[in-house]
Amino acid sequence: MGIDVGKFLKAPEYDIRITTYRDIFQIEALEQDRFGEEYKKLSAAVMMGKSDMDKMGFKAGDRARLTNNNGSIVVEVRATRREEPGGIVFMMNSPWSNSLVSDDTRGNGIPEFKNISCRISLTKEDITPLEKLIAF
Amino acid sequence: MVTCTGCALLCEDIDAVVENNRIKETRNACRRGAAKFRGCKNRLTPSVNKKQTDVDASIKKAAELLKTAKSPMLFGWSNSTCEAQAKGIQAAKKLNAIIDDTSSFCQGILIEKVLRKKFRTCSLEDIRNQADVLVYWGSDAQDSEPRHLSRFSYFPRGEARQRGYEEDRTAIAIDVRESNTAKICKGHFYRIPLKGDRELILALTDALSGKVPAYDTKRILELANILKKAEFGVIFAGIGLTYSIKDELDILVALTDRLSNFHILPMVGHYNMRGFNENLFKETGFVNRVRFDGKAVHDNKYAIVEALRQKAIDALLVVGSDPLSSLPRSVLPHLAAIPVICIDPCVTLTSKIATVTIPAAVSGVESGGSAVRMDGRVIELSKVVENNYLSDAEILARMMEGA
Repeated sequence: MGIDVGKFLKAPEYDIRITTYRDIFQIEALEQDRFGEEYKKLSAAVMMGKSDMDKMGFKAGDRARLTNNNGSIVVEVRATRREEPGGIVFMMNSPWSNSLVSDDTRGNGIPEFKNISCRISLTKEDITPLEKLIAF
Repeated sequence: MVTCTGCALLCEDIDAVVENNRIKETRNACRRGAAKFRGCKNRLTPSVNKKQTDVDASIKKAAELLKTAKSPMLFGWSNSTCEAQAKGIQAAKKLNAIIDDTSSFCQGILIEKVLRKKFRTCSLEDIRNQADVLVYWGSDAQDSEPRHLSRFSYFPRGEARQRGYEEDRTAIAIDVRESNTAKICKGHFYRIPLKGDRELILALTDALSGKVPAYDTKRILELANILKKAEFGVIFAGIGLTYSIKDELDILVALTDRLSNFHILPMVGHYNMRGFNENLFKETGFVNRVRFDGKAVHDNKYAIVEALRQKAIDALLVVGSDPLSSLPRSVLPHLAAIPVICIDPCVTLTSKIATVTIPAAVSGVESGGSAVRMDGRVIELSKVVENNYLSDAEILARMMEGA
């Protein structure tokens, strides 16, 4: 029986920037049950343009690990409906995206919620549960 | 008709069908507003140190914690009535506490400029009746303030705009993403790179000054021409724009100085964020980030993010907000390490780690009061159903009796 060399190889990482936004369906889910599956489904996801997905080898439904100096999360990959500029991906604002936001505000008190630099790689790990984000 | 507290439009035309003291149905509300009226699945219950107790005991413990703290912060307020906010400001004075709200990392810096009259602004009624050029800049009103376009800005037939959106109004979206609002703006969607707002403002300022803009010349000149011809223009400044130019908001003011018929309206999500800013401004001359110490002192170090980062507070009262959900995770370990008192109608991420939880009525549904709409108009809130939950204002009043 051969050795599956692939499983020992680290998935390639790519530099990306995340911008966050609000979505009415996510706001509705938040109002109803912020611990519920619907809120998690909408929040723990990264939306990517087709060219980035092709370049990085992602398919819709894959899971991606997003990592920077502030944190690391696993979310689902989704395709945006239209082509996007390369290197920019989208997440709905939530505790998942906030895990990656720096607290360094250069003293002005406003973090960069909408401009988050991080690395993205394919993973088979489970999506980060909300409980893990509020465990200290 | 009742008022919706789903967002800072505070729509007053909601038909709430009540049966057996429960809201069976809402008419006219958007998805966001309807969700607010339906309420949350998990109501908060009173607790101290994660053990169930009664409301009186939790209020008493909260008062004790605040009284013994050396540097308490009172935070939240954007989902509270003006009456509760006034009680909160008085409590901060009495306790020599820091008081801050969610505008601290949202639209506070822009609302402060409105209150200091640094630029022209206008009412939503002015917009409905007069506005012909609407610029949704870093703002997806369709998702965040969902009835904005239909009630006030784009679709209505106003006094001077009888032909409505078909002929009388031009809607423009400037954004890094093709939002649902941008889709409505169709031929007038100007997509900018992330943090590209500054460059666009400067290019537009050049174009309006008769200079050739530095980039995308044809499109910038086309946009400048639409803005210049406006009879009554409005820039709906969303959080995308505010975050992008937060260190140099004056370039936006300078742009509108070149457009004599233009107004700026900060787009506000939480239903009474502007109310808090106005109430604190009246009391202290500042919209947020204030420490009371005999007098009111304003400093960026009193912003919740900075105060947590610097570990400068030793107790936190959270009213109608969920900082565990909305702040960078890296500042949260300190929040989790200090006594937290959570007043909220619902179980939140913050209530899960709180030392004391106090359930509150949902304002605008289970308690009345007043709030300030995103354009500064005071709106009365209705009590739609009866129950035994105390309002935020009542909880704070009782808490301060014991502090």
